[in-house]
Amino acid sequence: MSDKIKYTDAFDELQQIVLDIEDGEISVDELSVKVKRASELIKICKEKLSSTEEDVNLILKELEE
Amino acid sequence: MSNSPKIFTLKQVVTSVRKTIEDRYANLYWVKAEMHKLNQFPSGHCFPELLQKENGKIVAQISGSIWKHNFERINTRFIEVVKEPIKDDTTLLLQVKVNFHELYGLSLQIMDIDPNYALGELQKEREDTLRRLQKEGLINKNQGLDFPVLPKRIAVISAESSKGLSDFMQVISKNPWNYRFFTMLFPASLQGDNAARSISDQLERIHRVKHHFDCVVIVRGGGGEVGLSCYNNYSLCKNIASFSLPILTGIGHSTNLTVAEMISYRNAITPTELGDFLIQAFHNFSVPVKNTIKRIKASSLVITSEAQLRLKSESKLFKNVVKQTVMQNKQIVNSSLKELASSVKFSVLHQQNSIRKNEQGVYRNARFLVSNQTSELGKLNVSLPVVVKAKFLSETNKVINIAQSIRLMDPINVLNRGFSITLLNGKTIGKNNKVKNGDLILTKTATFNVKSKVEITENNE
Repeated sequence: MSDKIKYTDAFDELQQIVLDIEDGEISVDELSVKVKRASELIKICKEKLSSTEEDVNLILKELEE
Repeated sequence: MSNSPKIFTLKQVVTSVRKTIEDRYANLYWVKAEMHKLNQFPSGHCFPELLQKENGKIVAQISGSIWKHNFERINTRFIEVVKEPIKDDTTLLLQVKVNFHELYGLSLQIMDIDPNYALGELQKEREDTLRRLQKEGLINKNQGLDFPVLPKRIAVISAESSKGLSDFMQVISKNPWNYRFFTMLFPASLQGDNAARSISDQLERIHRVKHHFDCVVIVRGGGGEVGLSCYNNYSLCKNIASFSLPILTGIGHSTNLTVAEMISYRNAITPTELGDFLIQAFHNFSVPVKNTIKRIKASSLVITSEAQLRLKSESKLFKNVVKQTVMQNKQIVNSSLKELASSVKFSVLHQQNSIRKNEQGVYRNARFLVSNQTSELGKLNVSLPVVVKAKFLSETNKVINIAQSIRLMDPINVLNRGFSITLLNGKTIGKNNKVKNGDLILTKTATFNVKSKVEITENNE
C-alpha cells in the first residue's frame, strides 16, 4: 500500500504544480524550479504505469505460513 | 412363436405415447416454473428451458415452446403489467398444454403467462439476499471503498480453463500502451452448487495476503447460463460486500444481474469489458499525466513570453525615460551653463570695475601719501638744521662742562693747592700696600718728586 501512496502523492503534487503554474502568479525563477520538479514526478508516474513489483513466490510463501 | 414378445416400431411407440398424453392431458394447466432462458429464435418462436429448484438444486426440468403469435400477445401484456420484458431466470405462472411430438419429444407448449406472477424463485432468493444485505448495511460496502488510482496488482478468481480468464488476460497483458499488471490466479469453481463455497474460500486466501493486491476480479465466461444462481447466494454475496479490497465481476452475459454483480465494486458484462475497465483506470492516470505535460508546456510558454514581453516594454520604457532624463538634464546643464557664463561675465565686469575703482583709489591715495610725505619732508628739511644746531650747541655745552669738571678733578690741581702723593713701589700706601721701616718711598708734589727712606711708621687707625 505504501506504493499506492507514493504514486498518488506524486500525482497530487504534479496536479498542484500545474495549478500553480496555470495560476500565472509565478515568477520565471519559480517556474524553472517547478518545471524541474514536475518532470521528476512525471517520470515517477510513467514508471508506475509500466512496472510490476510483486513476487508470486513471496505471496505463495505467505499463504503457506 | 406365440410366446415371442410383440415387436413395435419406434413410430408406433411414440405415436402411442403421444395419443396417451394427448388423452391424459387434454386440458390446459397452470404451472409454476422457472423460465431459465427464453431462447427466442429469429423466426420469433421461443423455446425456453423450464425448471424447478429446491434448496438451490434443480429438481425438475423440461423444454417449453411459445409460438410466435402467442409470444407477441403474451409479451405485450407482460410488459404492460410488469413494465419489463420477459427475462431469463424468472419463475412464472404458465398456462401450458402438455405436448408430445414424435420427433421432438415432450415439451410444454406455453399458451399464456400470468404477468402477476412474475417473480420467480431465483428472483425471490435474489430479493432475499438483497434484503438481508440491505438490512445489515452491507449492500454498498464494497462500492464505498476507495478504488486504487492504479489497479496494478490483481487477484484473479477464475478457472484455469475459463474462456473468460483468457479473454481478460488477453486484454490486460497485451495492451499497446505498455501498462503492466501483476496478476495471480486463485482458482475456483465458477458455477453450480460448489461455486459459492469455492469462491468464498479463495476470498479468504486473498484476504490473508491482501497487502499484495489492489483489487480482486471474478471472471467467468464461455460456459452456459445455467448455474449462475450461486451469485445470488447470501453467504457469498456477504463475503463480497464486506471484502476489504474492491471486487470487480465479469461473470458472463447474463441479462439478469445477480446480487454478486450488483453489490461488487464494479460489474462488467464480460471479462473483456472488465479488462477494458482496468486499462481505462490506467488511462485515467496516464492521460492527465500526459495532459499535465501539455499544460505545463503551454503555461510555461505563456509565463515566459509574458515575461519577455514585459521585459521588452520595460526596457523600451526605460530607454524612453533615460532619453527624456538625459534631455532634461542636458537642458538644465545648458541653461546652467548660460547662467554661469552670464554670471561670470557680470562678476568679471564687476570685479574689473571694482579693480578700476581701487586702482584710482590707490593712485589717489599714493599721490596723497607722496605729497603728504613730501610736505612732511619739507617741514623736516626746515626744522632739521635748527634742531641739529640746538642739539649740537647743547652737546657742546655739556662737553665744555664736563671738560671743566674733569680739569678741576686733575691731581695736578690738588698738588698745586699744596697737597702731595706718597707712592711705594709706584702705588699709593694703604692696607694693601703697607709700608715698612727702611722702604724707599716717593713723594710727589706740584713741583717736586722727593725720594725718602722710612724711619718710623705709625698706624693712624
